[in-house]
Amino acid sequence: MSTAAQTIAIASALLAGGLWLQLPRGNSRGRWWGIVLAALGVCLLGRLVVRLQPEHWVGEAVFFGVAATTIVSAIGAVTMRSPVYCALWFALTLVGTAALLLFQGAQFLGIATVVVYAGAILVTFLFVLMLAQPEGHTYYDRVSWEPLLSACTGAVLIGLLSASIFLPASGKPAQSGWKNDRWSATERKQEIVHPQHMAHVGRQLFSRYLVAVEVAGTLLLVGLVGAVAIVSHGAPARQTGEAVERDRLAAREAHHG
Amino acid sequence: MSDIETLLILIPGLPLAACLITALFGASLLRERSHWPVVAAVVGSFICSLFLLSAVSQLGGEGGDGGVGIERVYTLWNWVDLKDAYQLGANGPQRAFDISVSLRADPLTAIMLSMVTFVSSLVVIYASGYMHGDRGYWRFFTYVALFIFSMTMLVSVSSFVLLFVFWEAVGLCSYLLVGFWYEKPAAAAAGKKAFLVNRVGDFGFLIGLFLIWTTYGTLNFHDVNAQGAPAAVGEEVAVEGVLGQARLAKQTAGYVGGAVGVAICLCLLAGACGKSAQFPLHVWLPDAMEGPTPVSALIHAATMVTAGVYMFTRVTPLVVAAPTARAVVAVVGCFTALLAGLIALTQNDLKRVMAYSTISQLGYMFLGVGVGTLAGITAGMFHLFTHAFFKALLFLGSGSVMHAMGGVIDMTRFSGLRRVMPWTCLTFASGCLALCGVFPFAGYWSKDAILAAAYEAHHGPLLFAGSGWEIGLYQVLYYAGIFTAFLTAVYTFRAFFMTFFGDTHVPREAGHHAHEAPPAMLVPLIVLAVCALGIGLVNSKDVMGGHGFYHFLEQTPSLAYAPIERVEHSAEAAAAHDKVAMTSLIAAFTGIGLAAFLYLGGRREVEAVGKAASSARIYGLGLYQLSYNRFFIDAIYNILVIWPLWLLALISYWFDRWVIDGLVNLVGKLPVAAGSLLRSLQNGMVQFYALAMMLGMLVLVGTLLMWPAQ
Amino acid sequence: MDEVQVLERYLLIGALLFGIGLVGFVSRRNMIVMFLAAEMMLQGISVSLVAWGRFHNDWGGQMLVIFILTVAACEAAIALALVLMLYHRSGKLDIAFWQTVREANQPRYVDQQLPDEPLKVEHWPTLPPAGVEPVRSDDEVIHRSHV
Repeated sequence: MSTAAQTIAIASALLAGGLWLQLPRGNSRGRWWGIVLAALGVCLLGRLVVRLQPEHWVGEAVFFGVAATTIVSAIGAVTMRSPVYCALWFALTLVGTAALLLFQGAQFLGIATVVVYAGAILVTFLFVLMLAQPEGHTYYDRVSWEPLLSACTGAVLIGLLSASIFLPASGKPAQSGWKNDRWSATERKQEIVHPQHMAHVGRQLFSRYLVAVEVAGTLLLVGLVGAVAIVSHGAPARQTGEAVERDRLAAREAHHG
Repeated sequence: MSDIETLLILIPGLPLAACLITALFGASLLRERSHWPVVAAVVGSFICSLFLLSAVSQLGGEGGDGGVGIERVYTLWNWVDLKDAYQLGANGPQRAFDISVSLRADPLTAIMLSMVTFVSSLVVIYASGYMHGDRGYWRFFTYVALFIFSMTMLVSVSSFVLLFVFWEAVGLCSYLLVGFWYEKPAAAAAGKKAFLVNRVGDFGFLIGLFLIWTTYGTLNFHDVNAQGAPAAVGEEVAVEGVLGQARLAKQTAGYVGGAVGVAICLCLLAGACGKSAQFPLHVWLPDAMEGPTPVSALIHAATMVTAGVYMFTRVTPLVVAAPTARAVVAVVGCFTALLAGLIALTQNDLKRVMAYSTISQLGYMFLGVGVGTLAGITAGMFHLFTHAFFKALLFLGSGSVMHAMGGVIDMTRFSGLRRVMPWTCLTFASGCLALCGVFPFAGYWSKDAILAAAYEAHHGPLLFAGSGWEIGLYQVLYYAGIFTAFLTAVYTFRAFFMTFFGDTHVPREAGHHAHEAPPAMLVPLIVLAVCALGIGLVNSKDVMGGHGFYHFLEQTPSLAYAPIERVEHSAEAAAAHDKVAMTSLIAAFTGIGLAAFLYLGGRREVEAVGKAASSARIYGLGLYQLSYNRFFIDAIYNILVIWPLWLLALISYWFDRWVIDGLVNLVGKLPVAAGSLLRSLQNGMVQFYALAMMLGMLVLVGTLLMWPAQ
Repeated sequence: MDEVQVLERYLLIGALLFGIGLVGFVSRRNMIVMFLAAEMMLQGISVSLVAWGRFHNDWGGQMLVIFILTVAACEAAIALALVLMLYHRSGKLDIAFWQTVREANQPRYVDQQLPDEPLKVEHWPTLPPAGVEPVRSDDEVIHRSHV
C-alpha cells in the first residue's frame, strides 16, 4: 500500500469519526474532538496537494485560506443544530465556492453563484425557516438519523474519490491517460481564461448552447407554475388524512410515552 | 317437403317449442297455467303421430319400394361433414365422417312415436292435476316437454351418433325429473345414482359405437348417395349405412360376425342394460321412484326405459350376425325378470313393487328380443307396446293412491281403499290383470307371444349336453319365464289386495280428506284402463286381418332382413301356442289365487309363510330377508365399487391436499419469502432510501476504481 | 505550478464538498437542512466541472454549471413549495414524520429518547412598541372612503 493510499485511508477514517462526533446526536459530547479529528483528516488530504512554492506564497496562501474556509463552513453547515446557523454557514460555503470559481477564471459563475444561491435561494430558505420554525431549534434538529452510518458512507465516498484522483493508475489503461495536459498556457489564454471572459461565455451560450438555454428557460417557467400549483392546490390548511393523523398520534405517544 | 317429413319434424318440434315456451315464460307469465302449452303440444304430437302411422302403413299398403321393408329418411342438415376422416382397413377406401341430422319413418318408428306421444299426452294431463300447487310446476312441465322431445327424437333419428345424443338427453331429463324435489336428500341421491349408473352403461354403448364406426365405416342407419343425401332404393349408393337397404340386401355378407360382432352387441347390451335397468345395472330404477309419480309412469315405466329394447330391435341384423350375443341378451333378460320378480314379492312400497315389476317386464322384453326369431323380436316389441299402457296405468294409479294418502306409499299403512277411491281401484284392477296376462287383457297377448317364441326357439345351445338331462337354453328360459309369470301374478295382486282390500285404513298424513282423484287424473286412468283391456287385440289373430301389429312391424327394414329366423305358421305351431297360453294362464291364476289366499283374509297365513321362508336359511340369510333386502345387490355394490372408490378418492384428496397443494403453495410462498427478506428495506424513511442510493453509488465507484472500463 | 496539480486540488475540494453534503443529506432530519446539504453537493459538482473545463480548455464545464444553477433554482422553488405543504400538514419540518409509505408489517422508526433541553432564559432584544393605535371617531369610521 502506497503512502498516498495510507494517507487517504487514515484521512477518511479521521473524517468519518470527526463528522460523526460533530453531527447532532442528542448531546453535544465530543464535538470538539470531532472538530479536531475532522481538521486532521482534511489536513491529511490537503497534504496530497500541497506543493511548497515559496515564490508564489501569497497566491498559495490565499487559495488554501479560501479552500479551508469552504470546507470548514461546509462541515459547519451540515453539523449545526440550529437550521439558521446551518443556512449561515452554507452562505459562507457559497462565498468560498464563488471565490474558488473565480480563481479558475470562471468569473461569471462566481458572481452568479453569489447572486443566485446566496442572494436568492438561501434567502428564500431563511424565509421558510422563519415561517415554519420561528422558535429556533427543535427536537428533530438535536438528533440525526444514523449519524455513524451516514458519516462513514460520506467519508468512504470522499476516500474513494480521492483515491481515484491521487492513486497512480498502474495497469488501468482507461484511467492512465487522464492527467495528460494537452494544452499550453497560451492556448488556455485564448479560450477558457480569455480576458474577455463574459463575451466568450455569452457567445457560447447563445450559439452552441442556444437550445439548452431555451429549454432551461422553459424549465424555470414550469418550475414557477409547479411551485404555485403545489402551494395553492396541494396544501389545504392542516387537512390531515386518516393515516397521517394516526401516524401523528403514534409519534406523539412515542415521544411522550 | 312431403307430408311424412313435415310430420316427422312436427312430432318432436311441438314439444320442443312447448319446452322453450314454458322455460321462458313459465316462471313469470304462465305459472299455474304452465301445463297448457305442453298439453297442447303433446296432444298435437300424438295426432301427428297417428297421421304418420297412417302414412307409413299406406306406404306399406302400396307394396313398398321394392327394397327391404319400407322406410323414408329425410336429412334436415349436416351437422358434421369431414372428408377423408378415416381409412377403412389397411387398403380400404377413405371414408368421410359425417353426422347428418336425419329423421326416418318406418313402422318401428311410427309405432314407437304413437305409443310415446299417446302415453305422454295422458301423463301430462294427469300431471296437470297431480302436480297442482307444486312450487316447481312450470319447471316440471319444462322438463317433461324436453323429455318428450328427446324421446321422440331418440326413436326417429337415423344415426347412431344422434341416437346416442338423445339417449343421453333422455338420461338427463330422467336425472332432472328424478331429482325434481331436490330439497329431499333421497331424491337428490336417487337422481345422482340414476345418472352415475347410466354412465357405466353408456361407456359400453360408446365403445360399441366406436366399434361400429371402425367396422362399418359409418354410423348412419341409412344409405347415403354421392350428394350426401339419403339414397332412395335402387339409387347409386356412396356409403352403405349400417342398417341401409344396400347392406340389408346383401344379407349375411353385409354384417360382421365373430368376435367383433359379439363385442359390438355386448357393448350395446351394456348401454341397454343401463338405460333399461337390466341386471346388473338395474339398481337405479327402484330409487328413481323418488321422482314425481307421473315421471315414474312416463319415463321409468312406459318410454325411456324401453329405449334399450327399441335399440336392440333396431339393430337386429347386427344381433343376428352374433348368435352368442343374442343368447346373452336372452339370459340377461330372463334372469333380470326372475330376480326382479322375486324382489317385488316382499317390497312394501307400492311404487317400488311397480318399479321391480317394470324391471321384470323389461327382462321379458329382452328375453323376447334375445330369442332372436322374428316372432320373438316382434313379441318383445309388442310387449313393450302393451306394457307402456298398463304399466303407465299402474303407476298413475299408484300416484292417485299416493295423492289421496298424503304422500304415503307404504302399503302396510293403508288398506281397503276400494271404498274410498272406487274408480282408481277399478282401473288399477284392469292394469293388474293386464300385467298378469289374464285373457283378454293386453298382457295376455304380448307375454304369451314372448313365452311362445322362447318355447318354439330350437336354435339355442344345449345345456348339460350328454348327461341325459340335456335341455335347450331357450327351454330353460321358457320355464323361468313361466315361473316369473306366476311370481308376477303373486306380487301384483299382493299389492292390489293390500292396497284396496281389507278393512279401510287411512294413514294419519291423509287427514280427513282421503278422496277420489280429480277428473284431470281420473280421465287418463280410465283411458289407460280401457287400453289395457283392449290394446292387445290389435295383434289378435282374429282382429284387423290377423296379427296386424306383427305384419306392420315386420315391414321395418331391420326386421324385414331376410336371415332372421321365421317360424312357419302351421297347425303344430298353433297348438303349441295354445299350450303355452294355457300354461301361462294357469300360472297367472295360481299366482292370483295364492295372493288372494294370503292377503284377502286374515294375515295369519302371511306370517306363517314369512316364518317358513325365514327359517329356510341359505347361508344364514332368510329367504324373506334376501328378497326384502333386494338380494343385497346395493350392499354388494357398496362394498365392491363405492368403498374402493371412496378410499381412492380419499387418497387422491389427501395427495392433492398435501402434496399438490403443498407444491403449489410452496411456489407461491417462495416469492413471499424472498420478498420478506427485502421487505425490511421498505421502512418508509426517506433518508434510508437516500443512504441506500449512496451505498449503491459507492459500490459503482469502487468497482470502477478496481476494474475500470477497458 | 502545472495544470494537473490545479485540477487535483479543485477535484479534492469538490469531492469533500460532495461527501460532506452527502453526510448532511442522509443524517439531518430538518427538511430545510437536507436541502442545503443537497445544494452543497451540487456546489461540489460545480467546482469539479469548472476545474475539468479549465483543464481541457473547454467551455462545456462552465456551461453545464450554468444549467446546474438553473435547475437548482427550479428545484429549490419546487422543494420549498413541497416543504411548505408538508409543514402545513404536519406542523413540523421533520422528515422522519413522513413514514406512512412503508411495508405494512414494518415497525415505525422511533426516535431515541432525549433529555429535555435545559431551558435557558434567553433575552432577545425587543423593540419598544412603536405607538398606540389612534382612537378613531365614529364619524371618521363611517365616512372614511373604503379603499
